[in-house]
Amino acid sequence: MGSAKKSANDSGSAARKARIEEMRRAERSRELRNRILTISVSVVIVAGLVVGATLLVRKQSDDKDTAATGSKGAGKFVTGADGVKTWDKKLTQNHVTKTVNYPMEPPVGGDHNQVWMNCNGDVYTKALNPMNAVHSLEHGAVWVTYNSKAPKSDIDALAAKVKKTPYSLMSPDDKQADPIMLSAWGKQRTVSSATDPNVDKFFEEFVQGKQTPEPGAACTNGLAQ
Amino acid sequence: MRRAPWIAGAAATALVAAGAISYAVADGDDDGTKAPAADSADAGFARDMAVHHQQAVEMSYIVRDRTGNEEIRRLAYDISQTQANQRGMLLGWLDLWELPKVSSAAPMSWMDMAGMADGKDGALMPGMATNTEMTKLGKLSGKQAEVFYLQLMTRHHQGGVHMAQGCVDRCEVGVEKRLAQGMVNAQESEISLMAGMLKERGAKAS
Repeated sequence: MGSAKKSANDSGSAARKARIEEMRRAERSRELRNRILTISVSVVIVAGLVVGATLLVRKQSDDKDTAATGSKGAGKFVTGADGVKTWDKKLTQNHVTKTVNYPMEPPVGGDHNQVWMNCNGDVYTKALNPMNAVHSLEHGAVWVTYNSKAPKSDIDALAAKVKKTPYSLMSPDDKQADPIMLSAWGKQRTVSSATDPNVDKFFEEFVQGKQTPEPGAACTNGLAQ
Repeated sequence: MRRAPWIAGAAATALVAAGAISYAVADGDDDGTKAPAADSADAGFARDMAVHHQQAVEMSYIVRDRTGNEEIRRLAYDISQTQANQRGMLLGWLDLWELPKVSSAAPMSWMDMAGMADGKDGALMPGMATNTEMTKLGKLSGKQAEVFYLQLMTRHHQGGVHMAQGCVDRCEVGVEKRLAQGMVNAQESEISLMAGMLKERGAKAS
């Protein structure tokens, strides 16, 4: 009996071992499945982050590209996290005499007149020919424009700032949508008032900034009003 | 298993950083704080274009003294202001990089174009006028000076665009590459402007 019992015990123990082995195997394969799942999910997340970061870097460096291609009217504004709108297509830079119809108001770039508007801190009280002003933007100027809804106190304060800032100019523009708008080559934003901190930020970033297609070009000896 | 999210997070961060850095480097957006080598395209372009620009500045001053035509005088003003300033940027970078303003290598070696110009009579690089041509410009006046200036400057710009494209293709310092691309675009636009001005004067580029 002893041996039979032992044998029964043995076979019982073998069955138990087999069951434990089976459970371990199941556990291992579950772990393996989980590990594969974790790795796959991680890879997808990492890939997503890499793609996202690349797109972000690419978007930030887009303004470096200023090749003179692309057709008139093509493109649209894309608003950045800082509220600055960037034209998403390359803006052409030809000197032309025929009238150009710009796809944005006030225009931020495109073909323009051979003569730039003086932008050496020049404040104009009458609307400008946009074809001259666009040439000033090409030279790295920031253009402050306002319509009839802008309060006089804001106009005076902005005029004082422009007068102190070489490579800036200012003029009324009754065709524009918002009371006060700031433009540079390929860039534009609306500000709430002359004291809006975004005014200083825009000037700091874009007066002779990275977006300038023709760095070093002059704001003097062009057209005056 | 509990460490997995940790590892995944760290890996993601490292990969994003590596991706952003390699993208920025591949894009040539070196921030310019690290000095390029003396024989690099960045240094070569800064040296050679500073010389090339100087002659355009000089040529423009001369024609402004030789004609009263407003259109020509404005074009010359635009070119001299722009190129004098750009030349200052190029020389300033060489100063910051503590690199010499001259090289014993032939002009444009950095873009595999050594020996493109024979360097005789002051025409050191493609497009540059000879000293004889510069002297002649200073003796002409009125429409003759205008036409000769437009012809010399068209040739000068053609050489300039070609060299600037060399930097666009080879330079690694982002700000310099951007300036070179700006030169290509602006000078190409001026070449077509000058073609129109020559036509109005019954002349051709060459």
